[in-house]
Amino acid sequence: MNAAFLDELVRTIAPDSLLTDPADLLTYESDALVHLRATPGVVVLPATTSELQAVVRLCHRANVPFVARGHGTGLSGGALPIPDGVLIGLSRLNRVLEVDIPNLRVTVEPGVTNLQITQSVAAFGCYYAPDPSSQIVCSIGGNIAENSGGAHCLKYGFTVHHVLGVEAVLPNGDLVHLGGRVLDAPGLDLLATIVGSEGTLAIVTKAIVRILRRPEAVVTLLAGFGSIDEAGEAVSTIISSGIVPAAVEMMDRLTIEAAEAAVHPKFPDTNAVLIVELDGPQGEVDELFGTVEAICQRAGASTVEIARDDAARARIWKGRKAAFAAMGRVSPNYYVQDGVVPRTRLPGVLRRIRELEARSGLRIGNVFHAGDGNLHPLICYDESIPGQAEQAEAVASEILGYCIEAGGSITGEHGVGADKKHSMPKMFTANDLDAMQLLRCAFDPSGICNPGKVFPTPRLCGEVPGPYREHPLERAGLAERF
Amino acid sequence: MNRVNLVNPAEAFSPTSVAELAAKLQWANDQGVTVGIGRIASRTSCVALSLRHLTEPIEHCAGDLVATVPAGVALTEVNALLNRAGQWLPLDPPRMDQRTIGHILAGNESGPRRHRYGTPRDLILGIEMVLADGRIAKAGGRVVKNVAGYDLARLMCGSFGSLAVITSATFKLTPVPAASRTVIIQAANATSLTDLAQAIAACRSVTPSAIELEAPPHRLLIRFETTETAADRQAAIVGDLCGSHGATFTIVANQVETDAWRSYEARIWEGTGALLKIAVLPTQVSSLLEEVARTAEATNLVWCAGGRAALGVVHVRLANHGDRLATIVAGLRHHACAGGGSLVVISSGGAANEHLDRWGDIGDALPLMRAVKARFDPKGILNPGGGPGGL
Repeated sequence: MNAAFLDELVRTIAPDSLLTDPADLLTYESDALVHLRATPGVVVLPATTSELQAVVRLCHRANVPFVARGHGTGLSGGALPIPDGVLIGLSRLNRVLEVDIPNLRVTVEPGVTNLQITQSVAAFGCYYAPDPSSQIVCSIGGNIAENSGGAHCLKYGFTVHHVLGVEAVLPNGDLVHLGGRVLDAPGLDLLATIVGSEGTLAIVTKAIVRILRRPEAVVTLLAGFGSIDEAGEAVSTIISSGIVPAAVEMMDRLTIEAAEAAVHPKFPDTNAVLIVELDGPQGEVDELFGTVEAICQRAGASTVEIARDDAARARIWKGRKAAFAAMGRVSPNYYVQDGVVPRTRLPGVLRRIRELEARSGLRIGNVFHAGDGNLHPLICYDESIPGQAEQAEAVASEILGYCIEAGGSITGEHGVGADKKHSMPKMFTANDLDAMQLLRCAFDPSGICNPGKVFPTPRLCGEVPGPYREHPLERAGLAERF
Repeated sequence: MNRVNLVNPAEAFSPTSVAELAAKLQWANDQGVTVGIGRIASRTSCVALSLRHLTEPIEHCAGDLVATVPAGVALTEVNALLNRAGQWLPLDPPRMDQRTIGHILAGNESGPRRHRYGTPRDLILGIEMVLADGRIAKAGGRVVKNVAGYDLARLMCGSFGSLAVITSATFKLTPVPAASRTVIIQAANATSLTDLAQAIAACRSVTPSAIELEAPPHRLLIRFETTETAADRQAAIVGDLCGSHGATFTIVANQVETDAWRSYEARIWEGTGALLKIAVLPTQVSSLLEEVARTAEATNLVWCAGGRAALGVVHVRLANHGDRLATIVAGLRHHACAGGGSLVVISSGGAANEHLDRWGDIGDALPLMRAVKARFDPKGILNPGGGPGGL
């Protein structure tokens, strides 16, 4: 880390906002994608927006790259530090600033957890809809960066549908307000571009989110099937009958076993379980639920359990949401993949995954959002066996290829980050990626805001007219000119 | 107001393929020739571009609840096709028989059903566009869940053709509901109207697809689109709420219901005079309506208003404003902005408008918006001045 820069940083911010001790930096080496690691030059933990702005301004002046980090639960290495760069942790910006029940809005700082938003309004019968599995610990700032979804996004949409406005620090340190408490703020919808930009455009310092009133009725069904295909057939019939469930989740035998071992949700001993949840006014839910139950029975369900109260429902969701972590019970290591296929292509893609499992000798568990075709294959391996970690990565990458061939996406909710940037050209042409770079260059012409993420080759914006001058990132071999 | 109003209309251009459009834009960009798009063309454009012939193919994947639609197809044509599989794109902007997909996206246009389904921005999954320099690019995808790359599809929604030319888009669809009922409510005044709208929005026993206000006289149109039984039940629940708020109501269905919505839309959208869109917090709608009424009374204006009562987005039609429009707009804008809202002039109704500020204050992100425009359209050939905030 440049000593002059560090000196200026020390003069700029409060001593307790700065971490330089190598032991302290260790904590920030990776997010939840732990195999990608790098030690940041310095970690700052700003306590106020103005402190954050001062740090970013300093980075801008000195051309030092920075990476924003929420609570480190990301699964694509989006918060992977830049060596010799600044890691900006947002955990201290963690206040719920305003709760406005009549207008159904909550204003929060980025370090507030997803679940805290719901907790701040639960007494009024309201909740925040996006519910990623990590909602107890993940931050709203991270949710905005990744456009997080969750099990209920089939009906309720993603973070982008629930964030009405943000205050954000641009890579030059300027503060901007996009969107707001009131809908339809005039101007380009830059808010929509910040959501899901994986921390590469700006750092959000405040967010105004929309909350919803709890539905009158929620009913959850857990059905066991002899095969994934039978369960898939039930899903197709539900969708084609005109019902939009709040959630449709599926797990296969391996993930059922893992969840059972970890949190004992009392799932049936079958090859596939399907979780279908309906919510809305009581009468409507009762009417439609009868249809869903009949569809599952006709599709060959071996067991059907109906949860009508919170405790029974919580048990089912605990089993589903614990699925990732539970794989540790059945395998020493595992690799979580996140891909999307058009829902109707699920059976074919799952068949290919089973063939790959047999061919590779690595067990692959499948847990997925069946309503929207978002797959999460869990590839089991043992890192103590030489070569298996690399093999697991190759298997995960092959599954992504199946998703792209089926017309899907390389990521449904975990983001591209550092992990999948090399897969972007499989999904997008050079022109597509160039169009995205236009946006990036408008926000971050000097390329210092979370560089090396999302795009396969970091490019510079070539904004300096006149003779060619080497950019510091080029000199360091981190980028090439756009 | 629907006319392409060109000072020197050099050329009308209506490509039949994306490649043809791309070649033309490359030429225009090389030559520095400005291009105005469809009905939103700004006045100084040299090429008047129409996408009305980009109409094929519509790709409907019914099992995935997804469709990819070229920009030149009218919304009503799209929905006629999707309806055959019991699905639709749940957008109901005004005059939708004349509205193409490209137009609706460029203006991010929606209607009463926005209450439940949102705007095009909420339903779009992916986009194909031609950049200012003629390169064809896409963003997003054809699946309902996807976070790969920047969300340029949503950026294009409401950009009024100022960043690129949209050639097709993929949308998330919805099943066509089995039944529809509308409760038409007469309220005593603006306060009672908005109180009732808030009460309906807060009632967990109903899921209306529209909570629409109209004034004067003060009316609410509450639409339920679900199963037959549920629609009847929910309409009855709202009827009970009316009773406790001292409002009278009727429940309509079938042709009567269709006609009620049609005449509601016609009053706001086919009237004469200026048309404004004012956005405020939902709890401020009654004070906005009172302010509009006060302004109209003081200046002898004929007015009517309609909009999303529970979302706080209201359209106001003003007639007989003569040369006072700029002053009236400034006054109403001041009222809306005081609560964090905005006022946009959709149409000046033919009034001389050199002093009229169409967009108002864009805020501290305007320099960033200009930077985005400059990156996407460095020579400024696309709809110059026609973008939001005068981009």
